[in-house]
Amino acid sequence: MNEPSKPPDEGLSRRSLFRRGGALAATAGIGAALAGCENTTTPVAANGAGAGGGKGILGDPTAGGPVDSAGIPLARRDYPVVLPKLGDVVASSAKPERGGELQIYNYADYINPAVIKEFGKREGVSVRVTTFDTLDEAFSKLSTGRLEFDVIFSTPDQLSRLVGRKLVQPLNYELIPNLQKNVWPELHSPFYDVGPRYSVPYVTYTTGIAWRNDLLDFDPSKLEQPWEAFWSPQAEKYRGKVAILDDSREAPGMALMRRGVTDLNTEDPELLQRAGKDLEELNGKVGVKVSIADYETVPAGRVLLHQGWSGDMIAGVISYMPKGVKPDVLSYWYQTQGGPIFNDCICVAANAAKPVIAHRLLNYILDNKVAYDNFAGYVGYQPPLNAIDGGKLLSDGLVPKTLSQAVVTREAFANGNAYLTLSAKGLQLWDHTWTSFRNG
Amino acid sequence: MGSRWIWRALALPGLAWLAVFFIVAFYAIISVGLGNVTTLYQPVPHWNPLDWNVGYIWEALKSVVPGGGTWHTFLRTVIYVFVAVTLSLAIGYPVAWYAARHAGRWRGPILVLLVLPFWISYLMRMFAWTNLLADNGYATRALHTLSIDTLFQKVGLLDGTDWLGGQHIAVILALVYGYVPYLILPLFAALDRIDQRFIEAARDLGASPAGAFWRVVVPLSKTGTLAGIVLIALPMFGDYYTPDLISGSPKTAILGNAINGYVQGGPDKSLGAALTLLLSAFLLIFMLYYLRVIRADQRAAAGAG
Repeated sequence: MNEPSKPPDEGLSRRSLFRRGGALAATAGIGAALAGCENTTTPVAANGAGAGGGKGILGDPTAGGPVDSAGIPLARRDYPVVLPKLGDVVASSAKPERGGELQIYNYADYINPAVIKEFGKREGVSVRVTTFDTLDEAFSKLSTGRLEFDVIFSTPDQLSRLVGRKLVQPLNYELIPNLQKNVWPELHSPFYDVGPRYSVPYVTYTTGIAWRNDLLDFDPSKLEQPWEAFWSPQAEKYRGKVAILDDSREAPGMALMRRGVTDLNTEDPELLQRAGKDLEELNGKVGVKVSIADYETVPAGRVLLHQGWSGDMIAGVISYMPKGVKPDVLSYWYQTQGGPIFNDCICVAANAAKPVIAHRLLNYILDNKVAYDNFAGYVGYQPPLNAIDGGKLLSDGLVPKTLSQAVVTREAFANGNAYLTLSAKGLQLWDHTWTSFRNG
Repeated sequence: MGSRWIWRALALPGLAWLAVFFIVAFYAIISVGLGNVTTLYQPVPHWNPLDWNVGYIWEALKSVVPGGGTWHTFLRTVIYVFVAVTLSLAIGYPVAWYAARHAGRWRGPILVLLVLPFWISYLMRMFAWTNLLADNGYATRALHTLSIDTLFQKVGLLDGTDWLGGQHIAVILALVYGYVPYLILPLFAALDRIDQRFIEAARDLGASPAGAFWRVVVPLSKTGTLAGIVLIALPMFGDYYTPDLISGSPKTAILGNAINGYVQGGPDKSLGAALTLLLSAFLLIFMLYYLRVIRADQRAAAGAG
């Protein structure tokens, strides 16, 4: 019915690959390292194989990793991706630009205004934050090429298409020493951006179950399979006050985990079909709501059982507790083995007018004190810094004991799972599962 | 000749405004709905009608017929709007009639009251209800004290006790609440215009008050009533925030929610655009009926004159 679409001649098309391929002498890409990997999924070799072109991605022979049929890298924990280096990095000796406005593109309320203000004062620039609602919206708008930002907040699963469309620029990490100095070692060269080349991590999060322990008469974490809480007979009493995340990955993902599926990036139609049915079952059982306002509705008691994000609960404690309600009424459970856990990232836009200042902002955000102020003073999402001590967050009372599992640990990070870039077909599969539930 | 030129010139800014902000924008939706997508599922609008691809329209069409993915959503939308418009008429007509004919010195204050809701944004008024209808909200408590919630439960209009827990009736009443002022004002204008002497003539010729109302007032206010209905039904069909705020459950999702879901993110933006076009075509049928009635009315008026 719809002709398979012809991509416009840009982005990660094979054609541009051919054009650039072979221009550089081939060095051993990550593909070689992958050959030794043992895994059930087969990574498509860093293009080249079968395509007849050079090695690498987008003409960069040093780039490599699994890619889908459209040439989009599909980074996995066990199949890291080296993104193609497109363009030059700013020189280490480059002078910071003076005056004018630094433009940031971010979610609303996702960075502490005080932190931004302080940075602006320090660097002698004014800082403007423009917000987007969804990463998809951000990508669409950035793709028009008419927006001029310096710093872009995003997520690792978006990175490959941001790079493919040449919307972000490779970074000079000499200007960002705090990455090596302060950040968890496992994120110095993450699997989605080996090197790294384009990104620094921003904050971490887990997806779990949030509930009001004073109003719910059962403890989801005590169930044999806590995700089952949403389908349980105990939850039926709370009809209309049960919610899942309004997100095409998180909601079906929860239905998969309920059934014990461990691959959160599966593209198996049968599994997703069952996940869709499981979600629809929630309509009848608990009149489930879909929302991403867990940071507000759970503290307010309008929703008592919510699939939620760890950082939203801490943000709830920081900013959303109603008068007279103590923060320890909030509880949070996270599946410490294989649960969804990941980090967001920050990039510098390809057409940044102030690339040096932009680098300096990335470095600034990874400063121990700044990152803590951003986290504990406003955002609620925890930065992956060595200096942040989970035990201290609890003993200082920033995070109540009932939310101890909302603290992200390196151990959980190592054992966790993440929603990662899907192939084009997989993306559609997940999205259809979600929309057919969402449309009722 | 000269004055005619001036009037044309005066219409120009308005027409330019419409051209840019309606026609161009709508053409963009058409081009996306009849366009294609990249491998990254970014829509590629086809501006040239010769390149139009009807695939998404076809897909949208298949989804709104029985058995399709949005059939239930579509059905729900039609029922919600139908019930909400009927209720709005039942509430709005007497108010408009009273204000136009019987309010006397209260006419001014009543008109002010009718305009008052426009002072506060629709969204804020809906947000207010999310608090009023919360578990310990004032409205919930008042409805409980008056046993309205138990009454609604008995007749099957309320499922459970939570007004905000995905209730059809709550969404419909919210639609009525939100849009009824838009119905009353044109209705008031239409009723106010009716010549009192027509009613007096009907009474003189032996009609009862009720008979005069049904046979004189109602027909004479037909265009105004239709205008009011069009004014509220069209935005209701495209509404998505009312069900989002008042329910947030897939059980009460209407077409606006589906379109919003498609367009906000994911690989189906073109399907969202196609669904928008389909909805517009569906509404155009009603619009044409409305225009026909108005025309017939004008012709009759001209004939009578």
